[in-house]
Amino acid sequence: MEATVLPEVTSLGVIIKGIIILAIISAVAGFGTYIERKILAFMQRRLGPMHVGPFGLLQIAADGIKLFTQEDIIPQNANKFIFQIAPAITAATAFIALAAVPVFPDFTIPEFIPLLGGTFVPSIAADINVGILFVLGMMAAGLYGPLLAGMAQANKWGIIGSARTAIQFLSYEVVTGLSILAPIMLVGSLSLVDFNEYQAGGFTSWLIWQQPVAFVLFLIAGFAETNRTPFDLLEHEAEVVSGYATEYSGMRWGMFFIGEYANMITVAILASVMFLGGYNDLGFIAGWFIIIGKIAFFFFLMLWVRASWPHIRPDQLMWLCWKVLMPLAMVNILITAIVVMI
Amino acid sequence: MYEQIAFYLFSVLTIGLFLVTVLSKNILYAMTSLAAGMVLISGFFFMLGADFLGVVQLIVYVGAVMALYAFAMMFFDATRDIKEKTTNDALVFFLGGMVALMLVIIFAAPVFSENIQAMYPVVEGVGNAQAVGLVLFTKYLVPFEVAAVMLLVAMIAGIILAGKKMDHSLTTNDDKVISQEDTK
Amino acid sequence: MSLEEFKNRNTGQQSYKMLDIKHTPQSGIGKFGQVVERTVKGELFVGLWVTLREMGNALFKDNMHTIKYPLEKLPISPRYRAIHDMLRLLESGHYRCIGCGLCEKICISDCIKMDTKYDENQRKEVTEYTINFGRCIFCGYCAEVCPELAIVHGGRYETASEQRASFSLFEDMLTPIDALKQQKEYDGFGAVSPNADDTIKQTPLAY
Repeated sequence: MEATVLPEVTSLGVIIKGIIILAIISAVAGFGTYIERKILAFMQRRLGPMHVGPFGLLQIAADGIKLFTQEDIIPQNANKFIFQIAPAITAATAFIALAAVPVFPDFTIPEFIPLLGGTFVPSIAADINVGILFVLGMMAAGLYGPLLAGMAQANKWGIIGSARTAIQFLSYEVVTGLSILAPIMLVGSLSLVDFNEYQAGGFTSWLIWQQPVAFVLFLIAGFAETNRTPFDLLEHEAEVVSGYATEYSGMRWGMFFIGEYANMITVAILASVMFLGGYNDLGFIAGWFIIIGKIAFFFFLMLWVRASWPHIRPDQLMWLCWKVLMPLAMVNILITAIVVMI
Repeated sequence: MYEQIAFYLFSVLTIGLFLVTVLSKNILYAMTSLAAGMVLISGFFFMLGADFLGVVQLIVYVGAVMALYAFAMMFFDATRDIKEKTTNDALVFFLGGMVALMLVIIFAAPVFSENIQAMYPVVEGVGNAQAVGLVLFTKYLVPFEVAAVMLLVAMIAGIILAGKKMDHSLTTNDDKVISQEDTK
Repeated sequence: MSLEEFKNRNTGQQSYKMLDIKHTPQSGIGKFGQVVERTVKGELFVGLWVTLREMGNALFKDNMHTIKYPLEKLPISPRYRAIHDMLRLLESGHYRCIGCGLCEKICISDCIKMDTKYDENQRKEVTEYTINFGRCIFCGYCAEVCPELAIVHGGRYETASEQRASFSLFEDMLTPIDALKQQKEYDGFGAVSPNADDTIKQTPLAY
């Protein structure tokens, strides 16, 4: 593939990119709650939000107003400081993780705009060459949000929620790492840009055809990583009230959910860049359009699964991860290694 | 200049956070500051251009090790302060101080004698992860393998320790059997 | 489903599908086999397909279950016991109540209060008639005991108001004289609601 010379990435461009990511992903996360409610409703033959704005579209604004103006309750025996910063950890790590994945195509701000004209805004805010590991590490650090929140709130459901956080983390983290190891060996790089270029040869060069097992494993681990439904143990309403978020209200509660939705988007981006051909053009369809389509598909898949499948117990998750998925991932790595060596 | 500012910022924050870890009597503060300190240490790696090590620091220490710590913390009441039993404050102070002094001497001595040189200079055109791999599988092959065997031994020991009651399930047993076992 | 089908409770002739549920395997191999079987059989994807099909039905085949309540309402059964109605005689338009006081007597929560006097035609005239809806338990005894079908239970179930008294005066419950044509007779004991056929589900047990 012929490398096109890109303009130099300035710190101004990175800052603009950071603001764009923050603004748009927060908005998309808010919009994601609307989409989730609508799709879950349709799948259960309900209507979903209908009354605020056309098709209930302004429900997001109503929810936002509610969250912002709700009283911020801190329980009496809670550890105030930790209780207050825990939601910020979730939200912040989710956005830091987004710094190392390609979100939106790169562009140059037109010259006629004062001050910022001519600035090149890159596709990746921080193009480090170990992007995948960085994203996974940041998402792992994001678990401190639920963990500390549950332990700080002096509530038994919270404690159970944070214990489950630790259990869940210990279960899936091995699978995440091992599942992406095989594709990494094939590509020979940890950079998402290299992954994208490896799959530049069109539909048949997608890594999913070479690594179907790794794709499925990564998807399962990604569901566990974002606490989506089959592995929704941390705040399983039917069992532990609301888990780590039991005592939270208002914007602090909202930050947990912005973090969760940002994580969903991150996992969707990772899956589509690593396995589904990334942001390369597919035939006549432009790359930026196709990546949005892929991300939307994964987002929809998460909602779809939530509507269809039941939760599993923590011990079942642990059993699945350690006794089924991890050996599978190991076998996958071994076979890939043998193929690569030959 | 940016790097210096970043270095001093990270140093002050890291030392401050680890001080909180040591001095705080609240288990939650200690754990939070330890984790935050680990995150900030990875910042040093990033500043030195060792992206791979920085990320490994994030994943291994912040992720895995701290999750294990957190798992252990579940056995404490996180909302109360811990009462430490120190019988001899002076001895603790003395020993701690001596260890700290020794560490400072060990790490400062090569710098003062100006007898420090890179054995494995950075190879041009080789990425971070590849460089780590090269060193790990040539010079440090034996320690690497020994560490691997040690981890394997620890894993087997862990399985044996925990595995005694592995076939014993509380959910599938009758209530009668469980109550019988309780009374034993 | 029509009523005839509903009344057919002979389970022998209907085709029930037996679920093939096996026992949970106890051994490790058995459990692993269960996982492999479930993975390969694609049962999970059946679940996904069901929800997707329902979504398609709901969106494109107008199979939505939601009733937009204040805008549309489900028809209620004529036997529904909501706020009472006082009916009029269809010919003369005079209220049917003859002031016999049976409803006041039978009311178990003691919430009906009536006062009568003889008018100039020596006919009983109801001067006061109130029902205390703070006490009424909507048991329906008053409607049952009424010899003239004068007091019946109506269909006004949305009884939120600022005052309980809003519904309880004789004039409030009485059919308005200009709406006499629309006054409906109670269908009688055991009457079914107009949409009963749609809502009926067959009971799988033969009683």
